Amino acid sequence: MQASVSIISTVIIFLLMRKLYTRYPSPLLMPILTSSIIIISGLLLLNIPFDTYMKGGRYLQHLLGPAVVALAYPLYNQWDKVVKYKYTILSGIVIAMVSGLLSVYSLLVVFKIDKEYILTALPKSITTPVAMHVSETIGGIPPLTAVLVLIAGFTGALLGSVVFTLGKIESPISRGIAMGSASHGVGTAKLVDYGELDLSIGSLSMGLSAVAGAIFCPLFVYLLM
Amino acid sequence: MNFFRSCMKVIRIVAQVLLLYIFYYAGVLIVDITHLPLPASIIGMVLLFICLHFKWIKVDYIKEGANFLIAFMTLFFIPPIIGIIDYPQLISVSGTLLLASVIISTLFVLLTTGIISQWIEKKELEMKEKKEKGEAEHAGKCIHH
Repeated sequence: MQASVSIISTVIIFLLMRKLYTRYPSPLLMPILTSSIIIISGLLLLNIPFDTYMKGGRYLQHLLGPAVVALAYPLYNQWDKVVKYKYTILSGIVIAMVSGLLSVYSLLVVFKIDKEYILTALPKSITTPVAMHVSETIGGIPPLTAVLVLIAGFTGALLGSVVFTLGKIESPISRGIAMGSASHGVGTAKLVDYGELDLSIGSLSMGLSAVAGAIFCPLFVYLLM
Repeated sequence: MNFFRSCMKVIRIVAQVLLLYIFYYAGVLIVDITHLPLPASIIGMVLLFICLHFKWIKVDYIKEGANFLIAFMTLFFIPPIIGIIDYPQLISVSGTLLLASVIISTLFVLLTTGIISQWIEKKELEMKEKKEKGEAEHAGKCIHH
């Protein structure tokens, strides 16, 4: 009963917010953002604990598995482009990984944040399951890592278009690499708005970043901390 | 007739999503056996890609289901995002600094990666064109000789 209520209300809120977004397409009205705010406020107002919401929510979340599998389809469609730009893609992933680790590490050191939280934040740009795993390996707090991963995803989904305009980043390949390796799935899902090439390079970069992150993060901690 | 057609479409999408689930669970199985530090969904994606690439599976068997799941992908991210409410400590001074660092770093990565890869992309394309041109010239010379 509780499960179906949370599934149905999440889906209805999402569909309504998506309708609103198609009418007023502003980044601030992105369905993922507006729906999350509405649901969080609803849960807080009605005093419903997260675990109760998740009785239904986990079924929706479970669909993320086959949804990520489905990204093989745009990748298959665009495979000749991937082969054509293989060096760009591979070097882009490494640049993203190194600049991500260095920038978040130096910011946190400047802000005098505890070491445990620094370790929690390092895997922020890789997809949630890998990030939590890496966080555990290097001594962070996995559930908090998951939250920071989502913040990184939101940042890309919300502000990615602004960054692309400012930096004059107009190539679908580079947009895909940047989004997939900085903002994983949440950012990649947003690439649907740009086109299939962006989306497929984004999903490929997300996957490659997960592999790179699983190797680079522990190495970075070992070398620098 | 129209109703019948939409029913068939729904059935096709459900069946194709189930097929994608099989790939996902194959990924789960592989991770369980090999203890690879990768998510099962990414392994499943690689498996499906291999099957499509080598034409072991027809694109038509998964096309509609894949498009459906991709169109609704952001919906499936909502439940894990709601998990933020279990971390009220993020609304503190150091929590805010932690969030700010993650946001600034992500923007920095988007900008640097985007700009640098756009530059590399141009070089990679130029190199390819040069190579192709060189090969064409070479071929031309061979004919002359």
